[in-house]
Amino acid sequence: MVRQLQGFKGRIPLGYVLMAALVVIAMMMVLFPIIWMFFTSIRPIRETLSHPPVWIPREITLEAYNQLLSAPRQIRFLRNTYFIAIPTALLSIGLGSLAAYGFSRFRIRGGRVILLSILSLQMLPAVALIIPFFNMALWLDIHHTFLAVILADTGFALPISIWMLKGYMDSIPVDLEEAAMVDGCSRLQALYKIVLPLALPGLVGTATFAFLWAWNEFMFAVILAAGYPDVAPLTIAISEFITESGRDWSSIMALNVIATLPLMVLFIFLQRWVVQGMTAGAVK
Amino acid sequence: MELESRYLKTAIQVKAREKEPAHRRWRWPRQAVGYLLIAPAVIYLIMIIAYPLFNTIRMSVTEISYPEKKTEFVGLQHYNRLLSLKPVTLPPLTDEKTGAVQLDEEGNVVFPRSRSVLRTDEYEGFSEWFTIDAFGKRHVMAAKDPIFWRSLKNTIVFTIASTILHALVGGFFALILNEKWVSKRIRNVARGLLILPWLFSMAASALMWALLYHPLGPPNYLLQASGLVSRPINFLGDRDLAIWSLVAVNVWKYFPFYMVMILGGLQSIPLDLYDAARVDGASRFQRFRFVTLPLLRDVLVATSAIDLITTFGVFDVVMLLTQGGPFRSTQTLAFYTWRVGFTDINIGYGSAISVLMLLMVGTGALLYLRLVTRKEAIYGQTTTRI
Repeated sequence: MVRQLQGFKGRIPLGYVLMAALVVIAMMMVLFPIIWMFFTSIRPIRETLSHPPVWIPREITLEAYNQLLSAPRQIRFLRNTYFIAIPTALLSIGLGSLAAYGFSRFRIRGGRVILLSILSLQMLPAVALIIPFFNMALWLDIHHTFLAVILADTGFALPISIWMLKGYMDSIPVDLEEAAMVDGCSRLQALYKIVLPLALPGLVGTATFAFLWAWNEFMFAVILAAGYPDVAPLTIAISEFITESGRDWSSIMALNVIATLPLMVLFIFLQRWVVQGMTAGAVK
Repeated sequence: MELESRYLKTAIQVKAREKEPAHRRWRWPRQAVGYLLIAPAVIYLIMIIAYPLFNTIRMSVTEISYPEKKTEFVGLQHYNRLLSLKPVTLPPLTDEKTGAVQLDEEGNVVFPRSRSVLRTDEYEGFSEWFTIDAFGKRHVMAAKDPIFWRSLKNTIVFTIASTILHALVGGFFALILNEKWVSKRIRNVARGLLILPWLFSMAASALMWALLYHPLGPPNYLLQASGLVSRPINFLGDRDLAIWSLVAVNVWKYFPFYMVMILGGLQSIPLDLYDAARVDGASRFQRFRFVTLPLLRDVLVATSAIDLITTFGVFDVVMLLTQGGPFRSTQTLAFYTWRVGFTDINIGYGSAISVLMLLMVGTGALLYLRLVTRKEAIYGQTTTRI
């Protein structure tokens, strides 16, 4: 660090310092809601809503976390979220990798059109589907089950999974499979012995995206799971909390922190892939 | 040499295969394998997305009565009700004797009450959407469903404001991250931290912001302490302010998307272009204006198109923070659809609103791309929102 600063020949220009200050202030503004959430979870409620605000927690208590871990009702929402997000991720990469392989390696009549229409499905406002989807779930008698939410979430996570995986498979040379097939592999063997292992980083990145999609999904959760604590994911628990009166901010923030920690860990390890996926597939 | 051995192997395989029984020798024709591979995903999407979509369109021309669940074909009646607009122009009230324009105590022109006109048979079923006084007359826009039009206006305001602010904030951070930092590691940590808001669900973000928007929250304290306002601001309860409070949450959550996209675009610009511009005497601003911006064009167009399309369907932040209130000032089209379909259980009408939304998104996206893009830029990019 010192060595690099010497690039300024002993003097740090004023503009540089101002810029750095601006950056620090802007970053503080962006991170403030997250920091405030964390602070709220580790201090007593009267400190959270005091006037003037207590900027740095004076009294630290883990009571909210304690309470949470002893209350299965709250933790159930977290479990439900995993029960929805993990199958969605698996289903998306399962169906997605087959389709991506097909689009990447075979000449399919109208393939470009099919691919583009799959992708445009993704852009549909999801609200256009909620009424018939709810009817369909009623008809199949699967409303307020995990299955219904998983099916809906996968419908929206699948197109982008196909797109991301196709991009990834296009970058794997065809020669490798041809060589394998010459050596006696069948098509499918070539897929799961050669292509899938090579595409593993792409699969992990895509699965992360599908997982995050299901984790964040709200609209289908509202119509299919709201009011059923056995299937309702965290997003529903939060939305019910916001409209509740006499809320316990500490405990909900603690739940949020616990829920977000695994995502942060996942993100730290997968940041490169997540960023790559964001730019390659333009996933907002 | 290698080639030769390959052929040799193939020859051995062919020999070996000839010995196999006939049914083992049969293989899927090469083309069919491709179709088989894409079939599961395509069938899945047809069942889960395309078929419900078709159903939405079909239901939008029907009326379902409850509880007997009778479906009746009503044609375009829902669309007619949604889209009916009728402008009314009212001249000012005049004095019966002199014929002069009536003025109130403050000297303003007095108009007849619009409600009295809308109550006549000609305007049956219409109510006021908005009123403008101009050119000495009062212009009232009457609509059969003013709530739909208000929701449309809210959606457009929300979408355009969010998109512009996303691009500005995201672009600001992307430019900063692209500068020379003291250390590369600090830069990467900063980038990671700035992506964090994107990682949270909208529900989690709404929760954090709900606490900030609390009358005792830090923003209110800072505003009061600096003397800008005397009483705490009701961020989510004020009719004019609420939608902007929601825009702020949306911008906070999604600017990292632009930041990452623009950063990717910036890093693909060859550095010698800047050197060349510098040699030609271009100032810092000129280098930005004539090198950076034109080369970012494609990225910006694709990113903002995706953003416009996805933000148009905004539902979650509205549902989470305001439920469309106060006085429907934050009700968006998606939220209106949900309310009509699931609270009022008016399925035909709700479907008609969503079909109109689809048409608007479709034409809007096409127009936007026509206006701002060269064709090839779009196909490389696609989308979704997490």
